[in-house]
Amino acid sequence: MRYGGDNRGRLLLIVLIVTSLFLITLDLRGVQVIDGIRTGTQTALTPVQKAGSWVLSPFRNFLSDVTHLGRTRNQIEKLKADNDALRQALLNRKVADAELDQLKNVLNLAGNGGFKVVGAKVISQGASTSFTQTLTIDAGSKSGIHTNMTVISGFGLVGVVKIAYENSAVVQLASDPSFRVGARIAGTQQIGILSGQGTRKGVLQLLDNTTEVKVGDAILARGSNNGRPFVPGVPIGEVTSVDNSAGAVTQTADVKFYTNFSTLGVVAVVVSAPSTDPRDSLVPPKPQPTPIPTVTVTATPSPSPSSKG
Amino acid sequence: MISRRFLLSFPIFLIIYLLQEGFVTQMRLPAGGFSLILIFTLAWASMSTPEIGALTGFGAGLLMDLSETSPGPVGHWTLVLILVSFVISFLSYGDDHVRANPLNIVFLVVAGVAGAQLSFALFGLLLGQELGSISQVLFICIGTAFWSAVITPLLLPIISRLHALVFETASRI
Repeated sequence: MRYGGDNRGRLLLIVLIVTSLFLITLDLRGVQVIDGIRTGTQTALTPVQKAGSWVLSPFRNFLSDVTHLGRTRNQIEKLKADNDALRQALLNRKVADAELDQLKNVLNLAGNGGFKVVGAKVISQGASTSFTQTLTIDAGSKSGIHTNMTVISGFGLVGVVKIAYENSAVVQLASDPSFRVGARIAGTQQIGILSGQGTRKGVLQLLDNTTEVKVGDAILARGSNNGRPFVPGVPIGEVTSVDNSAGAVTQTADVKFYTNFSTLGVVAVVVSAPSTDPRDSLVPPKPQPTPIPTVTVTATPSPSPSSKG
Repeated sequence: MISRRFLLSFPIFLIIYLLQEGFVTQMRLPAGGFSLILIFTLAWASMSTPEIGALTGFGAGLLMDLSETSPGPVGHWTLVLILVSFVISFLSYGDDHVRANPLNIVFLVVAGVAGAQLSFALFGLLLGQELGSISQVLFICIGTAFWSAVITPLLLPIISRLHALVFETASRI
């Protein structure tokens, strides 16, 4: 049987409705007590909401992932692409930084030597299958580069321009087995001919058999007429071993090139020789050994038992 | 007797309110989610006399009005829930055909949730509130009704037991 209600029930309903209308009116009129109650409730609820948020965050994330599955996948794809692009940019930046360092060094060297240079990027390393050591640079005759010009890096001699095209040039590296350069020893000024051996090591053949060569001696380019193919004073390498065989017609020494040919990114072609020979001013400073601190321990003798008595 | 019922009912609704504000609203369910306190109130009302139903609606509505997220003035939800709870309890109380089948209660609760939301929107419009487009209001009403249809059968046994505990009635759904 359905409930029919009575007067008491109706009265209660009316009272409740009037109360709610009264509350609405009070709130709409901006009574501060109502606002205060709401603010107080919210203040009390905040810790509960924080706890709820903390507890439900894994569930919420899961739900968000499920509801935004397609979008999340797209976002992941986009982020992966962005990540790849950033990695590539970072790599390019590292390469650019390395090239910048090389360029700075080569300009320093050229500046110190008074060389007028044209900077160029190495665009390809020549194939060594034909037993030659070459590289190609991105500057050619349009930039004032011609054959038989000295090519240097930040560390020293790289080689010589073998062929110059309009926008590129082929450089014969100092390590090429057919490469020859007139060289002198820094300090003693003894002269010789340095030839490439296909590796980072060259062989210096001194013209005077009585000169004394020491390991660690710096070798510089002697220079040619009008600075071509070699400008004077360019550092080549340092002596790593000396062959003093008795009875040898000439004295020879192994020389390690300052330039690491496999890591070349930026080089400079000397287009104009210096007005004066830089002599030994371009010899790289020898690395200073780091002093090892020594600790001296002095034992203090304890007083002898006899001195007490 | 009345004070005992009130003392027992109040903490139950307070806990439900805290669960709603602290946890359910944090879930950010799609299509509006569900309101635990709305479901609880209407299911409670469906098992009570119209007077108790109206009183339950009054208390629950007042709690909902105190929520900072409620867009209307204090009393807005109170008015809506008094009326809807009264109607729900009026329709169900004393009619054994309705109370005998839990599906009827679920249907009443779901209809009550949708009705309460529509009434809230209607009163809101009268009070000059901005509620968004009609399609948005309808979408949320339908979404909440859907969630309520999912949740109510799960909660109904608990609500029934608590109601029986407070009102010392033997009948349980």
